[in-house]
Amino acid sequence: MNKFLRDTGIHMRRNILLTLRSPATVLPNMIISLFFLFVYQGGLSGIANMPAFGGASYLAFILPVSVVSAAIGGSGGAGQALVRDLENGYFARLLLTPSSRLAIVLGPMIAGMLQLIIQTFLILCVGFFLGLNIKAGFAGFLVVMGLAAGFGLGFAGYSVGVALRAKNAQAAQAGTFVFFPLIFLSSTFVPLEMIQAGWLKVVAKINPTTYIFEGMRQVLIKGWETGPILQAFGAIGLLCVITITFAALSAKQAVSRD
Amino acid sequence: MAKGTIEVMDLEKTFKGGVQAVRGVSFEVGQGEFFAFLGPNGAGKSTTIQILTTLMVPTKGHARVAGYDVNTEPDKIRLEIGVALQETGVDPKLTGREMLIMQARLFGMTSKQAKERAAELLGKINLLDAADRQVGKYSGGMRRRLDLAISLVHKPTILFLDEPTTGLDPVNRFAIWDEIRDLNRQNGTTIFLTTQYLEEADQLAERISIIDKGKIVVTGTSAALKRQIGLDVIELTFANVIDATTAVNALQGIGKDVQRQDTHLKLYAENGALLLADVVRAIDAAHVHPTQLNVAPPSLDDVFIQFTTNSAQPQASSVTKEVIV
Repeated sequence: MNKFLRDTGIHMRRNILLTLRSPATVLPNMIISLFFLFVYQGGLSGIANMPAFGGASYLAFILPVSVVSAAIGGSGGAGQALVRDLENGYFARLLLTPSSRLAIVLGPMIAGMLQLIIQTFLILCVGFFLGLNIKAGFAGFLVVMGLAAGFGLGFAGYSVGVALRAKNAQAAQAGTFVFFPLIFLSSTFVPLEMIQAGWLKVVAKINPTTYIFEGMRQVLIKGWETGPILQAFGAIGLLCVITITFAALSAKQAVSRD
Repeated sequence: MAKGTIEVMDLEKTFKGGVQAVRGVSFEVGQGEFFAFLGPNGAGKSTTIQILTTLMVPTKGHARVAGYDVNTEPDKIRLEIGVALQETGVDPKLTGREMLIMQARLFGMTSKQAKERAAELLGKINLLDAADRQVGKYSGGMRRRLDLAISLVHKPTILFLDEPTTGLDPVNRFAIWDEIRDLNRQNGTTIFLTTQYLEEADQLAERISIIDKGKIVVTGTSAALKRQIGLDVIELTFANVIDATTAVNALQGIGKDVQRQDTHLKLYAENGALLLADVVRAIDAAHVHPTQLNVAPPSLDDVFIQFTTNSAQPQASSVTKEVIV
């Protein structure tokens, strides 16, 4: 176990170093997410005067969208790092060491998760700068960070799974794109009750992203209430179980000696 | 079998699509030996190396590396072997030093030990100046040297090199040769090398197996392999066909075989230089004079071509010959 943690740490550290050396892989996505925050806040904040918002600040309402879109956009990084290793032969080099096989795959996933935690922190900082006030206080801040971390791990798992199967960079990037619609088929811009189209309402109710939005909004706008927070963590737990199983199965195939 | 040895019995590898890359290969490599697999592209060299280095399991047969079974004890084998694969396994975004340190850490060294080992190896392969540059900016030769150094971090007892100099210019090739020769002679490291270059096998290896289409065609020392084809060639060229025909008759009984093509004669003999006097006397007595005369020893090229082209025929491929020195 000790060796496993040590190996995971070594692989994680390399992947963090690589991310820091290629800021271009992180920055555009980060900028787009902040851009979302600015334009939605600037253009749509008037609708927060409608009764359905219950007097909420639109900034607090839209911030989770920025966080989630940053997470989805940034989650491809872990998979792409692995594809790069597969392509330049370094993956085989790692398999030739006594390193734990699982650690080789987990290292980039954890590095990817850390990247998303930092992104979320930065988005929150910008939010504070724009006047964000978290209703549930520091505990609420931790909930948002925790949800983002879980979401990050879940998506990193997915991207690693796709990367190990497809073994090429384009597919790994395209794979995460599948999740972009999830952001918008949800209570993205207005509360669930205000969604007009019946089909969208149904889709939004199935979409796990909705529960993540609702959980974050709960602590940002209304204050501490266990129900929605648990639902959000439940949705993320489910997402993580599915994607990490997928990653593990793909990894098993990729390191197989057959 | 002890450390530093390789033992392979009836090894076979069939890929999922049905391609048979390795079809029943057997050989042994002793501790401290320098052994080479020589063969064209697609002969099964890389597949054999991937099996022996624990990246792949064989479809059939057995292999033991450093005394451990490749099927059941890959972890133990990984601690004993160093591997430089055909595709250099380097990360272009890391520096040479970082890569060496990371490799050392994965082999269980402490951070301090890893740093020391990295510095030591960088000095040895003459890369201290470039140590803190990203590998993506290295030249092909520097990358190969670094790759070799990475495979040596944990002081392996057996080193596997899959076409270590393919695509390198002569200067870098000779530098790599010197490095691996030293490892073999000074540290007693067992070396298993694959190559497409006859010269490389000839220069470095104590024993060579020629492999073609997944089978070992012949195994022996470079000298023994040359002797296997056996014959020097005395080449004579005459001014006209009449002279050449006269010469053929005069040369009967000298050497093993005389062949004429137009004005050109080829006389095959076991020791061409010793027979040269007889040849000259015989044609002189027949009053014909060659315009050109030339004695050529067999090259490893002749051996290679002879065995790889003949291996399609049953008598050469069904019997694996062991040539004794």
